[in-house]
Amino acid sequence: MLRTLFAATLVTLAAVAPGIARAEVPVHVRVIKGLRQGPPKVDPRLDDLRRQLSPLAYVRWEQVSEKRLDLNRGRTEFVELPDGDTAALTLQERHGDTVTFEVALTSRNTQSRLTVQKGQRIVHQVTGEKKGAALFLTVMAWPP
Amino acid sequence: MKDCVRFAPMLGAREGELTQDEQRALDAHLEGCADCRATAAELAALDGLVGESLMARANSRDFAPFVDQVMARVALRQAQGERTGSGATARARRGFLGWLFAHPRAAIASVVPVVAVAALVVYVRSSSGGGSGEVAMFEMATEGEVTMVLQTKDGPVVLLDDGEHS
Repeated sequence: MLRTLFAATLVTLAAVAPGIARAEVPVHVRVIKGLRQGPPKVDPRLDDLRRQLSPLAYVRWEQVSEKRLDLNRGRTEFVELPDGDTAALTLQERHGDTVTFEVALTSRNTQSRLTVQKGQRIVHQVTGEKKGAALFLTVMAWPP
Repeated sequence: MKDCVRFAPMLGAREGELTQDEQRALDAHLEGCADCRATAAELAALDGLVGESLMARANSRDFAPFVDQVMARVALRQAQGERTGSGATARARRGFLGWLFAHPRAAIASVVPVVAVAALVVYVRSSSGGGSGEVAMFEMATEGEVTMVLQTKDGPVVLLDDGEHS
C-alpha cells in the first residue's frame, strides 16, 4: 500500500513539475523617447502608456524600438539603446500574476528591482536628459 | 527381540498417545519381557523427575506481581476509556479512527500524498493567475542614481537624476 501511494505521489509530481519549472514570462519591451519641447504628441503605438506618461514633463513621445522577449528566471536579456548603451533586463521572481524585474544600467551604475502585476508596465528612464530629450525603457509582462 | 524393537518407541508414550490396540499389545509384551519392563520403569522414573523439577521451578516463580500488573493495566484502560468519552467515542474509534490510531504510519503515508497534491494544485492555480482585474500594488527597490519613482496605477515610472551624466 505504501509503495502504491509513493508511486502515485511521484507520478503526480512528474506530471505537474514541468509546468512549475517553466517560469518563462513573455514581455514586450520598448525603447521610447520623451521630449520636453514641441507640440504635445504621443506616438499612436504608445497609446497604452499615455496615462502612465502623463505625469512626466515630457510632452512628445516617440517609440524608438520594440522587441518581444521570453524571460526565464535569472537569465538576463540585453536591450540595445540608440546611444550605444545597453540596458539589462532580468526576471527575478514570478508568483502567479506578479513578476519582479531588475533593470540595470551599467553606464550609470543603476539597478532597479520592480515588482508589477499582469497589466502593469514599467517605465524606466535609461539615459539622462540631453537637450530636453531622454530615453525610457518600458516593460510589460504578458502583453496582449 | 524383534518385538522389543517394535515396542521400544511406545515405551515412552504418554497417556492417550497410543491406541487401545497398541496399548493392549504393549501391555502383553511387557508382561513377557523383563528388559522392556526395566526400560519402561526407567523412562517413567525419568519422566517423573523431569516433571517434578519443572513443577518445582515453576512454583518457585512468584506470578502474583505479574497478575497485579495486568489487572492494574486493565483498570487503567477502563478508566481512560471512561475519561476520554462516552461509548459513542469508543465506537467511533473502533471504526476509521480506530484504524488510524492503530496504524499511525499508514495514516501518515496516506495523508502525505494528498497534502502534497493539494499544495501543488494551490500552487499551480496561483501561478496560472486568477485575473482578478484589480489594480495591483507593486514594490520597488532601487540602487544607484535613481532620484524619483512615480507610482501609478499602470505601474512604476523610474526617473534618473539629471546630474553630470546627462
